[in-house]
Amino acid sequence: MEKKHKVLIANRGEIAVRIMQACRRLGLDFVAVYTAGDASSGHVRLARELGGERALYRISSYHDANELLSVADAAEATAVHPGYGFFAEDFRFARRVTERDRRLVFIGPSWRVIRELGDKINTKRLARSLGVPTVPGSDRPIYDELEAEKVARSLFDFQLQQGVTQPLVLVKASAGGGGMGIEEVYDIDVFRSVYRRIRNYAMRQFKDEGVLIEQRIRDFNHLEVQIVSDRTGKRPVHFGTRNCSIQSTGLQKRLEVAPGFDPSSIEYGFDAAALLESITSHSLAMARKVGYDNVGTWEWIVTREGHPFLMEVNTRIQVENGVSASIARVRGEQVDLIAEQLRVGLGQPLGYGQEDISFEGVGVEYRIIAEDPAAGFTPWVGDIERFEWESRPWLTLHTHVPPVSPEEPYSIPTEFDPNLALAILWGKDLAEVRERGLNFLDSLRLEGHDAKGSPLRSDVDFLRAGTARILRFS
Amino acid sequence: MIDISSLLESIKAEPYTELSVRAPHTGVVRFEGLQPGQRVNGPGGEWKEVPGTLIATITRENNPKPVAAADKGVIQAIHTGLDGKFVEAGAELGVLRHYLSRDEVVRMLLRESLSLFCAPERAKYYFVPDIDKKVKISGSRTVSVQDGMELFIASRMKREIPLCYTGPEGIIYEVYFNQNENVDTGSPLIGVCPPDQRGVIEDVIARVQMEWVEME
Repeated sequence: MEKKHKVLIANRGEIAVRIMQACRRLGLDFVAVYTAGDASSGHVRLARELGGERALYRISSYHDANELLSVADAAEATAVHPGYGFFAEDFRFARRVTERDRRLVFIGPSWRVIRELGDKINTKRLARSLGVPTVPGSDRPIYDELEAEKVARSLFDFQLQQGVTQPLVLVKASAGGGGMGIEEVYDIDVFRSVYRRIRNYAMRQFKDEGVLIEQRIRDFNHLEVQIVSDRTGKRPVHFGTRNCSIQSTGLQKRLEVAPGFDPSSIEYGFDAAALLESITSHSLAMARKVGYDNVGTWEWIVTREGHPFLMEVNTRIQVENGVSASIARVRGEQVDLIAEQLRVGLGQPLGYGQEDISFEGVGVEYRIIAEDPAAGFTPWVGDIERFEWESRPWLTLHTHVPPVSPEEPYSIPTEFDPNLALAILWGKDLAEVRERGLNFLDSLRLEGHDAKGSPLRSDVDFLRAGTARILRFS
Repeated sequence: MIDISSLLESIKAEPYTELSVRAPHTGVVRFEGLQPGQRVNGPGGEWKEVPGTLIATITRENNPKPVAAADKGVIQAIHTGLDGKFVEAGAELGVLRHYLSRDEVVRMLLRESLSLFCAPERAKYYFVPDIDKKVKISGSRTVSVQDGMELFIASRMKREIPLCYTGPEGIIYEVYFNQNENVDTGSPLIGVCPPDQRGVIEDVIARVQMEWVEME
């Protein structure tokens, strides 16, 4: 990179840790931020360790753009990495960053691309215009209860005509994402109450009451295509597919696998290799059409019969980027997708084509979360007193939890997701990675107590059970 | 039964609170020249439309944000050494001694007299939509609650769960939480006045009106 850049990391936790590490790998300076509630987070500790006190600023909120940009100015940052969540998919923020008096580089797609694809409706329209299959349902946000009910009724009728015996409709906050603000409706008679609940939720969380009504496709796998492109927007490549079907009851991902299917060891009722080829080529076609110019993820539903439907595009780095990177090689070398995002975001050309990218083995990512699966995955809040695992060459563990002990526990902040760590494992094939996964989970020591003295609850047993059914339909 | 007299005496022994004036966010701070010992006013007017005395201004992203006194009182300390410097969110800019008003004393005593329903866990709390509408339009004291009634939505870590009220039947006399702000475990959300306690509450208010002498 010609200019020496300094990156403001406008995020927290595990992703902030990974961005700092990627900056170091690329020889970039960085400045990190934290809030009072996050003072003991590992990302704060690492920022001090790698960059000293002046690489760290306390702010009132990660949601305050003015503050983030004032820190960028005070620290003389030249670029902003939003991570995921917060401002990552806010085109207004991206536009402001790049068009203010003291311009900064936004490490993400250009704001026009975010605006075009960040909106589920626009994405659906664009996909339909390119012949990309999308989930049946409304192609604009609905604000009127009667109209919403009419759409829901037509979707119930449509499914009955298709031979679906128990039709289902999905009510989604139009401005939502990450599984937030979604509910299923089994019975048209309760539709209105669900619609009102989602509309109120959407207003509280996203300040937009718009709601989408879609057919709820059952018995499907959730696949993703990882796209990377440089600022020209002309040469997007894909880093393969991921399967994110193992989710909590709240539709939150818990276990991800790359590649998306494994026809070499599992028999599917369709040509899985052709299907993966089809969704990657559809995703690349859309990326080329909009001039996609950073990292992004195309999210797909694939039915048991092998029918793909595009759900949405996430115009940001995803939590699960590491599992794709674990199986990808560029000219035989391992790749760090966050470093790639920084590099192309700062204007470097991609420097390789699809033919230079190869895939090797199977990767699994476990999201280790303090929550109670037996109680609907309710977040668990308390102190972590022990967090240990065996170091292995095939294991990478990303966490913002600092070293803990019963004397010096880490209190989980209640303002954010209770995600504790991402464990990424690699194996030469599905059987090996599955065995390694179970070994890792058995070796993991995660202990703590809440304010009432009850022991820590986590999703480890859920992950163990999920390992047996990865890459399969339920 | 609470001992109102002894509570009042303890408040009279220290009839003020010391408020830390803190930077609401990052930015470059400029003080307005106030000195320790000077009196300041809090926001005034029926709708608090008159801002309090300006203590400092914090500028970030070309947006000057006035830091005004949140209450009336006397400046105890002012950290003018920070003038012209970039400060982080939460940095202390000064200390204000605020003398309690009658209404504040009433609220303190009511907190001891009402039946409090507390946050079972740290989260953001909202009234359920129907109650929220009623509170906004007619005020909380028009809302009757009874044991088992679904009253709140608790929101934390992207999850929202309904929360039922448990406690005696009565009206919501006081609301102690603000929307979009976290409430700690055990902090009161509402104070409920059961019908048979109405006399006690009115007595508390009457005693404070008679006995409390405002310092300013």
